Amino acid sequence: MNGSLFLAIIFLSLLVFFVPRSLKYSYSLFLLAGAVALTSVWSYRLLSGSVQIIDIPLNLPFIQNSFILTVDRLSAFFIIVINITVFIGFLYARGYLEPYYRSKNALRFSIHYFSYIWLYLSMLMVVMFRDGLSFLIAWEIMALSSFFLVIFDAEDRTILKTGISYLIQMHVGMFFILIAFLLVEKATGQMGFDALGSYFSNHSNIPLFILFFIGFGIKAGFIPLHTWLPEAHPAAPSHVSGIMSGVMIKMGIYGILRVLISVQSDLLLIGIIILIISLLSGVLGVMMAIVQHDLKRLLAYHSIENIGIIGIGIGLGMIGLATGNTALAILGLAGGLLHVLNHSLFKSLLFFSAGSVYQATHTRNIEHLGGLMKKMPYTAFLFLIGSLAICGLPPFNGFISEYLIYMGMFKSLSAANLYQSMLILGTIVGLSLIGGLAIFCFTKAFGIAFLGEPRSEHASGAKEVGKNMNFPQYITVAFIMLIGLGSGFVVKPVFSIVAQTFRLPDAVLTTGPFITNLSQISILAGIFIITVTVLLVYRHYHLKGKQVETGPTWACGYTAGTSRQQYTATSYAYNYNHIAKPLLQGKKIMEDIREDEIFPGKRTFISHNDDIFKKLLIDKPTDWFSGLLKKLAVMQTGQIQHYILYAFVFILLVLLLTILNII
Amino acid sequence: MVNYLIVFFAVTLMYFSSADRLTTYIKLIGIQGLLLCGIAIFELNEVNTANLLFIVSETLIFKTIMLPYLLTRIIQRSGVTKVHRLAMPGFNLLLFSIFGLLISVILAKILINPFINTIYLAIALFTLFTGMLLIVTHKLIISHLIGFLIIENAVFMFSLAIGNEMPMMINIGILLDIFVGVLILGFFGLRLKPHTNELTMLKD
Amino acid sequence: MAGFILIVIAACIFPGVILRTKSLLSGRKGPGFFQPVKDISVLMKKGSVFSTTTGLIFQIAPVVTLASILCSLMVIPFGEHRALLSFEGDFIFFSYMLAFGKFFTIIAALDTGSSFEGMGASREAFFSMLVEPAFFILLATFAMFTGYTSFSDIFNNFFITGNDYVMIYSIIGVYLLVQITLVENSRVPVDDPKTHLELTMIHEVMILDYSGFDKALIHIGSYLKFALYGSLIYNLIVPAEWNIFLQTFLFFTVQAFFAVIVGLTESFRARNKMNKNPKFILTLSAIAWIAFVVILIMTDKLV
Repeated sequence: MNGSLFLAIIFLSLLVFFVPRSLKYSYSLFLLAGAVALTSVWSYRLLSGSVQIIDIPLNLPFIQNSFILTVDRLSAFFIIVINITVFIGFLYARGYLEPYYRSKNALRFSIHYFSYIWLYLSMLMVVMFRDGLSFLIAWEIMALSSFFLVIFDAEDRTILKTGISYLIQMHVGMFFILIAFLLVEKATGQMGFDALGSYFSNHSNIPLFILFFIGFGIKAGFIPLHTWLPEAHPAAPSHVSGIMSGVMIKMGIYGILRVLISVQSDLLLIGIIILIISLLSGVLGVMMAIVQHDLKRLLAYHSIENIGIIGIGIGLGMIGLATGNTALAILGLAGGLLHVLNHSLFKSLLFFSAGSVYQATHTRNIEHLGGLMKKMPYTAFLFLIGSLAICGLPPFNGFISEYLIYMGMFKSLSAANLYQSMLILGTIVGLSLIGGLAIFCFTKAFGIAFLGEPRSEHASGAKEVGKNMNFPQYITVAFIMLIGLGSGFVVKPVFSIVAQTFRLPDAVLTTGPFITNLSQISILAGIFIITVTVLLVYRHYHLKGKQVETGPTWACGYTAGTSRQQYTATSYAYNYNHIAKPLLQGKKIMEDIREDEIFPGKRTFISHNDDIFKKLLIDKPTDWFSGLLKKLAVMQTGQIQHYILYAFVFILLVLLLTILNII
Repeated sequence: MVNYLIVFFAVTLMYFSSADRLTTYIKLIGIQGLLLCGIAIFELNEVNTANLLFIVSETLIFKTIMLPYLLTRIIQRSGVTKVHRLAMPGFNLLLFSIFGLLISVILAKILINPFINTIYLAIALFTLFTGMLLIVTHKLIISHLIGFLIIENAVFMFSLAIGNEMPMMINIGILLDIFVGVLILGFFGLRLKPHTNELTMLKD
Repeated sequence: MAGFILIVIAACIFPGVILRTKSLLSGRKGPGFFQPVKDISVLMKKGSVFSTTTGLIFQIAPVVTLASILCSLMVIPFGEHRALLSFEGDFIFFSYMLAFGKFFTIIAALDTGSSFEGMGASREAFFSMLVEPAFFILLATFAMFTGYTSFSDIFNNFFITGNDYVMIYSIIGVYLLVQITLVENSRVPVDDPKTHLELTMIHEVMILDYSGFDKALIHIGSYLKFALYGSLIYNLIVPAEWNIFLQTFLFFTVQAFFAVIVGLTESFRARNKMNKNPKFILTLSAIAWIAFVVILIMTDKLV
């Protein structure tokens, strides 16, 4: 019954093309709601503890082997993450897509909605298929549908180019996963995640794991495999960026976790590899985020950083499993999994508010914004909550997952040997640096974009966006506050998911007293909110009896400034830029004043930061390769006589080689 | 008690990487001499008294008093300003220094030997690294000289680590000190052009 | 509870001691010990002037900062009494709660739309980012040393563990915490609270536009932060199992001594050149790292 309902939704999605234009959105919303409800029922049955695993066969009438959806607890968790973000994203999309109704025709919208539904369905299928072939088909559909979503605005040729580059990089990733699955099939005869167990017990674990890690890592966005992320996310429309950054990159994490469940030996080395790559991703991701001036590109780099934090949790969990340290294993893996949920919530929130800003001001450049808090107060409030959550500040949800990871590390310090303690210390320093750098970056992003005076007409002409764009984001804020304040209720199921998935014993012992820590945090968070409220109320009544005036900003006497004299984003990050020069590849493009130029003419100045990994890994090889191909282009002369000559030469060559018995 | 002195020694090394002025360097060299004297007193309790007295007085007189005095004379003669010039910003030097401590701890773990106290091994290796980093990253000759003095302190510390077994090693270390003091400092000190701002040029 | 009250009392006296020390060292008699408290009460009576550029964030930032400092105070223990709310990993909460307050102070400075205050905000964000690792390495050292992960447990067991070399950690911890306080409260040598020049200010420049009640809240928060770090230093010096009255007396002695040291540093030391500050702050992390190596050796991991 369940399977046929799912199949029905799949086939009904085709009808999006035939529904009249005004009903397209509601029809897609109806389909999405149906799928969300169906899969949530499955997840609820799993997470409430009654069943371990659900198998749902999809019986297609004319295909012999039916596809089987297998849902276990890990998949159920990911299903919930996907459902929340995708549904809220689609609610947001109604308001976001409104300005496009006039400029794009019905077919474009149909394709867009169809791709959206299929991105959602393919992500569900990715976490539910275990068989290799069906998994790869779902993965490919995910890449294709996200490609169509990204190029929604393809009138702008750069967006089309970015989309194609994104598609190519996704296929490079899929190539690695395909090779890995084929190796498993060659060795065990079965292609899928279930066969990994027997493969890993007979063969060396590390090479296959590396293949899977590269393939899934390109999707997830670990450094140095991240080069598609900062290009694709700004190019896509904001509701798409939100769900791509919120859930699609987590599919890579899901894949890595599935592989890690079956890994039998070399756990310590695998854990250390994941930990070091994630530390690099986290620190380098946020370091590169600080110097961006495109709001969505900044958020994309922060996704890389948060994937790094998730990877740190997973790496620590693996190290805990390897050394038999149950507390570290559970805390690390639970911290990583919880951060998957947390990140999907606050990152999608941030992308949606950034989308609202873009819709109101038509620019994503932070240097042209400013003073938006007065014009768009609700959007500013939502962006502020998102910023506080992403920096990992209590009482929001980011703090809880980082707290779990920290606790895993601090608790295992006393028992660790020399190398482990130094590695743990390095990770502690890395996490604290990531937190500090994130605060630096988001005070810049929020402060320059929303506070102060407007820096250009883009910003001064902004108006608050419609209610139906802000309303879904409030739902996300509710989830964020729920996890932040009621962390004990959310973390307990995550602990049991981790313990059952990774076959860890006596989970209750290590985590029972731990839940009291989380309840203390909730109490403190509650006290904090109450203190703020009480003080604010007192201040209100206190100021009532006093003389309150307004005036221009004093700032020690510098009152005559214009809005262009405010601190800009580049100046804010200047002292940081100075320290981190080798990494950030800052370029200043300005023509110098020549010696014989007595009356200097007009000059323009552009400063810009490149992504060093993109330069080394993508641009240099592709430039070299296209240079090589240009040389070969000599052969294309455009004259048909030459082409006939080439064919003739080829036939002669084949004749000669056949006579000589070579081929 | 020795451990306090050794920790303090390591702290002075970190300050070497973060100091800006040559006078700070000189003060730190003096403090290091004093610390080494203290370490020698507390550590070498199996060496006979005459030898111990010689070692202590040498460290005290030579490292703590004479070397700083000679260095101060050189700096005053050349009239160099107090800030030395670097080949790279001080922030990066400090990062390398931190990394150097990490490497020396790992090396000490690999080279564990039942006859050598491991603390000495780790801190002496760190001293060696700091000295080499100073030489590699600075442009002025006086900084290279100070780097060499630090390497020498490392050698002294290595010799202290096994000093109870082989007291002759310490004496050889002291000979190295005297060699540096007389030959190099005297040589450099007298041959540098007076009152230049550079301290990189020798008088031909 | 006792710790909370003692810290609040110390915060009333602490800044007066600093002021008095600085005045006496300059040859003046100086204001009374309770002058800063009287200044706050004067500020409370005044009205406020708000800039037209600023919005909601500017209005609520001092309240949020003060609330964050008050909540961080709740996890600090005193003597053998546990803190008001102590749990494993509360120093992580402590550090991030203070960071929450800093976040709001920084964006409130950006709210005024002045380049001057933006500069202060940028520096404050940068320096507090650099000082975070030092604090965490120090706490990792203590966690490894005592085997516990909560402030109350760490300080209760600090001197009991029977390790002979506990004084090393005490000394390094006190030295680092004094420097961290100077960085976090923007005193000399990181910043000079008395100057109002563009080249030197960090914290003072962020609060230029506040007046009246908000300014009073900011001052209260800053004094509380001093007393907070002072009590951490006290916990590192005095063993937790001594007599409670002796401990109360020593608490105020240590806080007064700390205030005198701050006053001495402000009188005799020059402020760092602003671009040398990152190096100064990184030195703190380097020394904390040395402390960690020492604990590795002391707990026989590197043996």
